[in-house]
Amino acid sequence: MPHFNIRTLGLATAALALGTVAQAQSVTLDVTAWKGNETEPAGLPELIEAFEAAHPDIDVELSYISRLDTDVVLPPRLQGGNAPDVMMTDMPLVKIWGGAGLLADLGTSSDWYTRLEPGLVPSVTSGDATYIMPLEVIGMGNFVNMGLLNSVGIDEAPTTLDALKAACGALDAAGIKPMVFTGGFSAPLFTIANGLEASEAAAADLGAGDATFAENAGFGGAIDEIRALIDAKCVDPDAQAGLDPWSSALSEFKAGNFAMMPQGAWNIADFSSVEGLDFAFAPIPSGKASGVALDLFGIGWSISAGSENMDAAKTFIEFFAEEANLQVMLDAESAYSPFQGGASGMPDLAAPYDQSRIDGGVIMYPFAVLDWPKPLEAEIWDSLTGFLLNTDRSNEDVLERWDEAVEDTL
Amino acid sequence: MSPAVRAISWKLAQALVVVVVIAMLMPVIYMLAMSFRTAEEITAQPLGLPTQLYLGNYARAIEGMGYLRSVVNSLGITLSVTVLVAFLGSMAAYPLARRANRFTKIVLLIVALGLATPPFVTITPIYVIFRNMGLLDSYLGIIIAFTALNLPLAVFFYTGFIGAIPKELEEAARLDNCGPWKIYWYIIRPLLGPATATLSLFVTLMVWNDFTYPLLLLTTPEKFTVMISVYRFVGNLNIQPDMLFPAAVLGSLPLLLLFVAFQRRIVSGVTAGAVK
Amino acid sequence: MRDPRSFYMLTVPALLFIGAFFLYPIALSVQMSFTDFSGVGDADFVGLKNYDRFVSRDRYLNSVWVTVKFTFVVVTVQTLLGLIFAFLLHRMPAIRNFCRAVLFTPAMMSFVIVGYIWQFIYAPYSGGLNALLEAVGLGGLSRGWLGDPDTALYAIALTHVWMFVGYTTAIFLVGFANIPRDIEEAGRLDGAKSLQRFWYLELPLLAPSITINVILSTVGTLKTFELPFIMTRGGPDRATNTLSLEIVNNLFGSYKFGFASALSIIMLVIVVVVAVVQNTYLKRRENNQ
Repeated sequence: MPHFNIRTLGLATAALALGTVAQAQSVTLDVTAWKGNETEPAGLPELIEAFEAAHPDIDVELSYISRLDTDVVLPPRLQGGNAPDVMMTDMPLVKIWGGAGLLADLGTSSDWYTRLEPGLVPSVTSGDATYIMPLEVIGMGNFVNMGLLNSVGIDEAPTTLDALKAACGALDAAGIKPMVFTGGFSAPLFTIANGLEASEAAAADLGAGDATFAENAGFGGAIDEIRALIDAKCVDPDAQAGLDPWSSALSEFKAGNFAMMPQGAWNIADFSSVEGLDFAFAPIPSGKASGVALDLFGIGWSISAGSENMDAAKTFIEFFAEEANLQVMLDAESAYSPFQGGASGMPDLAAPYDQSRIDGGVIMYPFAVLDWPKPLEAEIWDSLTGFLLNTDRSNEDVLERWDEAVEDTL
Repeated sequence: MSPAVRAISWKLAQALVVVVVIAMLMPVIYMLAMSFRTAEEITAQPLGLPTQLYLGNYARAIEGMGYLRSVVNSLGITLSVTVLVAFLGSMAAYPLARRANRFTKIVLLIVALGLATPPFVTITPIYVIFRNMGLLDSYLGIIIAFTALNLPLAVFFYTGFIGAIPKELEEAARLDNCGPWKIYWYIIRPLLGPATATLSLFVTLMVWNDFTYPLLLLTTPEKFTVMISVYRFVGNLNIQPDMLFPAAVLGSLPLLLLFVAFQRRIVSGVTAGAVK
Repeated sequence: MRDPRSFYMLTVPALLFIGAFFLYPIALSVQMSFTDFSGVGDADFVGLKNYDRFVSRDRYLNSVWVTVKFTFVVVTVQTLLGLIFAFLLHRMPAIRNFCRAVLFTPAMMSFVIVGYIWQFIYAPYSGGLNALLEAVGLGGLSRGWLGDPDTALYAIALTHVWMFVGYTTAIFLVGFANIPRDIEEAGRLDGAKSLQRFWYLELPLLAPSITINVILSTVGTLKTFELPFIMTRGGPDRATNTLSLEIVNNLFGSYKFGFASALSIIMLVIVVVVAVVQNTYLKRRENNQ
């Protein structure tokens, strides 16, 4: 039996009043994302909880849909007019969905738009509309098992090709496998970073077919460099064939079976949870002293054009643009803020990568900023896998396939 | 060779065949064994029996998959599709089994085409049609889709089955001036039990195991069939063995149990369907 | 005696259903195959461009070749294995039902689950198959089965055969059981050895079962995309990229609905032609026996 007094009565009435107000205008936001599950929570569960506490009249329903399934599941919903209110997107999706008029224009006058990193502004602006609010820029670099490198007397993650080859020689002599170099991800990162760094032509021209990969000395050189890595014992091309970049390669690195692996920073949190794995996140070794920091503008929020809860949806995405909130996500993802003056969520072990960004070794991953068409990505993965399995192939053989993929999209 | 030696070598040959056949079950046994092991054990010792009856994997999988709900969904869809397919299929099969003329030939040809068509050939347009009819993400939609996929098989199946029913039964009814509908309902339909039982098997297999249609047509987790729950739970990147194997066991267990219980009828039913 | 019209009316509900959800979609597919429809937005008519792309690019003809290779391996191995099992089990009544049920078990499972499990069995480092090879001293043979273009397609084919060989065996066993007793007896009285009896007496009479098995497994194999989809995603370097997988990827990965529709139509034509040719040829052989 609760005991009554005026105060509880007052509280009860207030609660009742609030309740009815909430009842009257409570909104359920349907949100989809390829983060927020058990393996990549990205801080979403606690951020959504905080958001709901701050906005008791909005109820957020988050569904996890993997990036691969996003292509399958969402287009029919968008087309059928029952799309989620807010969707996690990236630029390739924005290009197709925004171009078809299925996404809401977020405008260019919002507070967060004015705070965007200048380098990102042209990427996220489609004509005079904006269909995506960026959440993070994430690094793609070289994971280095420092414990293994220290054991052969090397105390710094290599950033140049020469340092890399020297490290490989020492590791190989000690019976340690130097490098994961999967055709499905690691090799492409290495090739794209080195190729673009040395390329005369701009990335956008290559992606538009105005310049060809086959005649590009930079990319030809990058493929020659793969052969040099094989000669330097960095890479055992046959062993790479059995490694899935998204599963077995990761477990191999975690188990300490390989000393290095080009991959994305989103793995940092997962790798950090492994007992006794002492690793650093460094730039991709290249011809420059700084190495290459390959930045991926990965994810953002978009609102579907047909959303009936437009205001609530906008409130939701603006919540993520606030520095303190975004920081939760950046820390979980080990990512950089897309906004000026925004902090980074990179831990100390990524200092080598940070240094490379400062030294000017930054290249934007060309698919994420729409310089290169999406279908080319799979073609690069396929062709480099084929190349690793048979390195007698000429550079033209590999690169002409890239040009063909570009042609197909024109 | 003396008869005794022959008998013994025959026994040995039989034993050898049994061993080979059981070896074929290894992947299934592997799946079961792995599902009780922790991720650490699997990575450290890929081949090995569980050291304990570790059920933690299962608890997490049942919870994470929304398993019970999806089993109920699969059951409900199976039942609805079976009823629809049996009714529509057997009704259509009766004239086809009793008459061979241009009309029935054309119908059977269309049905044969339906049997040969890969399901994903029609999925894009079915999307568009369902969207216009408002059938996306609804039980009704998925039931219609599965019915359309199974109907050609059902028509064939019943045509063969009804063809084997003696005509004399109908003759008497026809003399009594019964219409075709009455003959179908009162004479043919009651005889179709065994065929329907077999057909329901095909439907069950498809509804439980197909994953293309429900993956595309169903979007709310509350409506998922078992296989979609497995697929969504396991994901397609970073597959973790300690999540995968229990989910795989849960996904296949209902059908495997059903099979153990009725194996003889199932095998003969499914093959009879093919041989007819 | 003329049939009343109501007699044929019984087929109408099913026909309507098949018309609405099978024939009409195929017609829509044909229509879509002449457009650049991307699944969202509008579709523009592009004439034969999609079909032209199919013939002018190696990758699509290559996917047809992969499909043919895959189907041929699966159908041959599955039919032969099924025949061997049925031949043995037919002569071993004591263990027949047990073995038939065991062999049939994998067919009860889903492609998705089978694909996941075998992916683990074939895995290069902590995979069951390599661990097994190491254990029996054949460590030299261990490899990344699905990562090597020379073995990937055969590894998937083996998985497919494993799934359905019980089906083939069961159909052959029915064929054996249908061989008239007096022929069996006559063979025995001649003192014909088991193998001779099989070759000269049983095999010709099994022709209908062979027809059924070959057609069922051919159509079934051409139709699947799930195993390569789950196990290799078409890799390594397209070694397992079947035509059906190519269709699915164009539909769901790159938003090329128009092109995917063109591929679907080509696929449909291939399946129908193969089934008709096989059926005609095998039936003729049956009749010439």
